[in-house]
Amino acid sequence: MPLPEGLYGLMAEFDGPTQLVHAAKAAHHAGYRRMDCYTPYPVEEAAEAIGFHRDEVSLVCLIGGLLGLAAMFGLETWVAVWAYPLNIAGRPYFSWPAFLVPAYEWTILWAGLSAAFGMLALCGLPKPYHPVFNAPNFRNGATSDKFFLCLESTDPKFEAAETRSFLEAQSPLSVVEVEY
Amino acid sequence: MANEQFSKGLPSTPGAPAFVDLWRKRALIVGVIFAVIAVILAFLGQAQDQLGWEHLLRGWLAGYMTCFNFCFGAMALLMVQYLSGGKWGLIIRRPLEAMTRTWPIVILFFMPIAVLGAWYGRLYPWSRYANWSAALKNGAISIDMAHAIRWKAPMLNAKDFFWVSFACFAIFALYIIRLNRWSVKRDADPEPHVAYWRVKFENLSGFGIVLYSALLFILVIYWVMSLDPTWYSTVYGFQFLVAQAYGVLALTILTLVGLSKAEPIQSTFRIIEQHDLGKLCFAFVMLNIYLAFASFLIIWSGNSPEEIPWYLDRIRGHWGVIATLDVIFHWLIPFSLLLSRDLKRIKSRLVIVCCVMIFARIFDIFWLIEPNFRDAARNLHLSWGIFEYAAMPGALISFWLVYYFTELKRRPLVATNDPHLAEILEHDYAHA
Repeated sequence: MPLPEGLYGLMAEFDGPTQLVHAAKAAHHAGYRRMDCYTPYPVEEAAEAIGFHRDEVSLVCLIGGLLGLAAMFGLETWVAVWAYPLNIAGRPYFSWPAFLVPAYEWTILWAGLSAAFGMLALCGLPKPYHPVFNAPNFRNGATSDKFFLCLESTDPKFEAAETRSFLEAQSPLSVVEVEY
Repeated sequence: MANEQFSKGLPSTPGAPAFVDLWRKRALIVGVIFAVIAVILAFLGQAQDQLGWEHLLRGWLAGYMTCFNFCFGAMALLMVQYLSGGKWGLIIRRPLEAMTRTWPIVILFFMPIAVLGAWYGRLYPWSRYANWSAALKNGAISIDMAHAIRWKAPMLNAKDFFWVSFACFAIFALYIIRLNRWSVKRDADPEPHVAYWRVKFENLSGFGIVLYSALLFILVIYWVMSLDPTWYSTVYGFQFLVAQAYGVLALTILTLVGLSKAEPIQSTFRIIEQHDLGKLCFAFVMLNIYLAFASFLIIWSGNSPEEIPWYLDRIRGHWGVIATLDVIFHWLIPFSLLLSRDLKRIKSRLVIVCCVMIFARIFDIFWLIEPNFRDAARNLHLSWGIFEYAAMPGALISFWLVYYFTELKRRPLVATNDPHLAEILEHDYAHA
């Protein structure tokens, strides 16, 4: 696969989350869709502002949990009823109260692992490189006190001059071009 | 405090909106209707199986325990939020304080339990058969019961029941008065004095939580567990403690959502704190089933003849249906629904879960109380009396709500002298 070249997008830098969210809302309202916010800590409202409503991690987590539950409960039932039946103090072979604790543990374990690895997979991680690191002001501020909105060039509405003037109207600290 | 710095100022109407009066009127009407139904059911029950008035008293105990859990559980949660801090604590503080100030009516509700139930022995077998040897001879009680009554008499007797109960009420009332009085003083303080007030409340609450938990263990042994003197469980008090938080959180969310139709709660009860309270509910739903199931699993595994009959009384003879429904109402429905993030953020849906949770509390107390009695143990059967478990709690909770709504109107709904105030006055985002 050939490496992409040229402009990745235009990135605006903001001083606070409020300005960022306002700008992201304005961009979404103006019709931009391929964009992303970069903040030093999670800002849920920024995700909402760029129209990011759902992710599939919760579904992956639920399916993982249910599979874990079924696997352990099934294993215990199979062992206790068919594979190696033991008479334990005269209790029935199928003693479901005793099966619940390990089944519950596996539900938690599988749900946790599926959530963690599902999240990594759905994010496309591990990813050792990202174009936004080419912007020098991003390296300085993104993990400490600056908030970034990047409108990507793959967006059909993206047009270098027009997009730049749109971003500058949002009163950012700066607008920089991000190369691949 | 300088309100200009907040993006939204403090609402100009700090008190409860006028529709709380309407709630109070409705609660009063519902209470009277339920009370009339309860009395009719008692007469019908008396004609049917001579147990009508006894069932009324059992239903009264169920209703009393629910009101007790609301009032004093609110006190416990109030102390917890002073210790833990957090914005969720600030927004629920005034509703919790209003719940705690209902303690006089809760003590009033306790009187029939104390006088009829314990003194005249209409509820508690250790009182009715205090003369255990005579009762054993004429076959009124089993030898196990006689043994338990005999050896537990130093604790389970009417005199101790009275003084322990009222001593605990006195201690709790002192805490409630103190917590409420300081809260008003704190708001009237011209300077914030953040550290001074925080330490003051923390010192009161820290020991208060420990003391309350210990005393609650004793109280529920007297009031509910001793309905069957032969049985004991060390996790019983803790189950009530968790169930109190479970019920109080649900009621608090219902209150706040109801109040959020008008100022001041409309602009201060944000989605963020609503979501937090939903998550807390979820935690208590889990803790509740954890304790209930752990207690069952241990006794089931031990299979000891001293312990297992308590569960058999509550499972055999069709009681298993009630036990299963109890798990469904108490855990399965709230757990499955509260898993959803969206549900916790949508008021109309969260309200439904809270209603299910409060219903589950009343349903659970029915399952705990009714099978203690000989006519009902291992024998779930339809009688007029069994409907007292709906009518009596309905009446008592409604009358309690009247008092609660009255107290809710007496203070501004948001405590103002708190460092978190600035944050809850911010808009939903930009809480940086």
